[in-house]
Amino acid sequence: MLFEVHGLCKRFGEIRALEDVSFHVRAGEVLGLIGPNGAGKSTLFECLAGVLPCDSGTLRAQGQPVGTGGRRSLLFYVPDGIAPWPAQPVGWALDFTIGFLGGRAALREQVIDQLDLRALLPQPIGTLSKGQRKRALLGIGLLTSQPALLIDEPFEGLDLRQARDIASALRSHAGRGRTLFLSIHQIADAARFCDRFVLLSSGRVCGEGTVPELAALAAARGAAQAGPDLEEVFLALT
Amino acid sequence: MRSPRPPFVWLLDKECRELVVSRSWWVLLIAMPPLVGVAFISAVRTYAEVSGLNGTSAGVGEALSPLIGVWAPAFSACELAAVFLLPFVAIRLVAGDRQSGALKLELQQGLSPLARIAAKALVLLAGWLVAMLPPLSAILLWRLYGGSVYAPELATLTAGHMLNAGLTIALAAAMSALTEHPSTAAILTLGVTVGTWILNFIGAVQGGFWERAAGYTPAAMVAEYQHGLLRLDTTLVALVLILAGLTVAAVWTRLGVQVRRRVYESLGIGALAAAGIFACTFLNASWDTSQSRGNSFPEADERALARIHTPLIVEVHLAPEDPRRVDLEHRALSKLRRVMPHLQVRYVSATSIGLFEQTGAGYGEIWYDLGGRRTMSRVTTAEGVLETIYSLAGIAPPVENDDEAFRGAPLAAPPKGAGTIFYGVWPGVILASGLLVRRRFK
Repeated sequence: MLFEVHGLCKRFGEIRALEDVSFHVRAGEVLGLIGPNGAGKSTLFECLAGVLPCDSGTLRAQGQPVGTGGRRSLLFYVPDGIAPWPAQPVGWALDFTIGFLGGRAALREQVIDQLDLRALLPQPIGTLSKGQRKRALLGIGLLTSQPALLIDEPFEGLDLRQARDIASALRSHAGRGRTLFLSIHQIADAARFCDRFVLLSSGRVCGEGTVPELAALAAARGAAQAGPDLEEVFLALT
Repeated sequence: MRSPRPPFVWLLDKECRELVVSRSWWVLLIAMPPLVGVAFISAVRTYAEVSGLNGTSAGVGEALSPLIGVWAPAFSACELAAVFLLPFVAIRLVAGDRQSGALKLELQQGLSPLARIAAKALVLLAGWLVAMLPPLSAILLWRLYGGSVYAPELATLTAGHMLNAGLTIALAAAMSALTEHPSTAAILTLGVTVGTWILNFIGAVQGGFWERAAGYTPAAMVAEYQHGLLRLDTTLVALVLILAGLTVAAVWTRLGVQVRRRVYESLGIGALAAAGIFACTFLNASWDTSQSRGNSFPEADERALARIHTPLIVEVHLAPEDPRRVDLEHRALSKLRRVMPHLQVRYVSATSIGLFEQTGAGYGEIWYDLGGRRTMSRVTTAEGVLETIYSLAGIAPPVENDDEAFRGAPLAAPPKGAGTIFYGVWPGVILASGLLVRRRFK
């Protein structure tokens, strides 16, 4: 196990964004965080990365609690919908990731090819389309050196072909031992790509495991209609 | 393989790139030469006329110092720019990361937020130094006209404007970090600046504590530097405020920290800064770097005054807005404080303007108490004040040494070519540089 999260809570005033969230992340797996819009997926990622303060809960690695500072060497978080350094070209952003964020220079060319970024290298990030920006952000994330990479909505804004190419690129990095924790609101995308799932609804974890494990859980909870389909399982458990 | 450059250098590089593509910085750069040009040309013309150009009687300019006659007005463009343009450059650089989301990526690196803010402040100061090139080029032009240049007073003036810029940067950084939106930060920054002007006004009207506090506002600090006076207390107070502003900015730039904790930390920084400022106000050291020694008595008088060790108490019955009080303060008491650190000055008045106190018998009196010996005078000139003190101390006034007196540096030369340089060459160079940078980044 790479790390486990226990009892994470986060409130925004009266709103309970996360309520007693607990799950674990295995080394080298592709873990999908599944949930509808507003389920608390981005909030959970931001709390894990230390971008948002959480009200309570712990993150443990090798049995030891890991504080916000310690998480920097454990995981890197790529938010959705940001356009960092909008006036700077993509090539510079990748170099900055390597230089400032301690990324892996040896992967630079490979990541550029995998994400089809070569033509975008001289373009300022602020001028990119949504899909191009997403690829640039994924490039930044893949170049970082932390064992776990948290990506918020990795397929958002990508067309079908791009989504498949990106999935293949992410899979190749996972194959080399990188742990990927992906927040995905399109369940069909997640079902195709992830090894295991954490189902989140209204800030609560409704289930954790592979599709058969989740189907068994749904059946155990008396949801007779849940089949081997992730969408059905999700509907049954939430 | 990791990059050999340390993260802080990468950060400096990034901030430089962000500054160079910032439109607000280019607006600042393009606005400076005309502002400096107007002030410099007008100042040099007046200086030349007073010095005897166009038939004016030569010799009037003997008392003129280039610092007061030319440099203070020419560099006043920096003061304007620091108040109205520099905040937007600083806010853009500090708030930009939060607006674009870059902050969420950068803060995962682990470099301390204070180091991040320091990198921004350093780059902004470098950007400000570039903006100060037009006024600095005026010095070269003045030299070419045959004008006299006294390096210590110019260094003091430049340092004053750098400190003022530092205060603006720290304030804008703190406001950018405290607020969610850059426009709110801009309003708050300008609000604080206006607040310091109000403090100056209250100080002028009320006197007392307010007058003392107003002496530490950026405008008052710059005014002292413009006269070549380098005061340790005002310099340290400015540095404490800069450090406090940048630290507050760092506290509020951090992600993942509860608001309550940030509030407590900010209050702690505020308390520390207040204690630091209070401690600084007890420091009396100051240096008059002006060639004319405009902030000091003649050296012979200073030597004579230094021999008086008995504490001197001066009680002034003049209202804060009475011009005689302003005269007395600027021409005599401010100079006296520098030589006699234990001088106590008490201002006594019932009103702020003194108009309706004139009929009072005691109004206008200045009482001197030197170790129990008291005398009264109504003279507000430096010579009159010194004469009273010497008489009270029972020492003979020193013999005036004409060789020591500043004879002025008159220059009867018109501002030839200044218009071309400040309205043509500088804007042209800046526009060309802007276009080159734009092409490079597109």
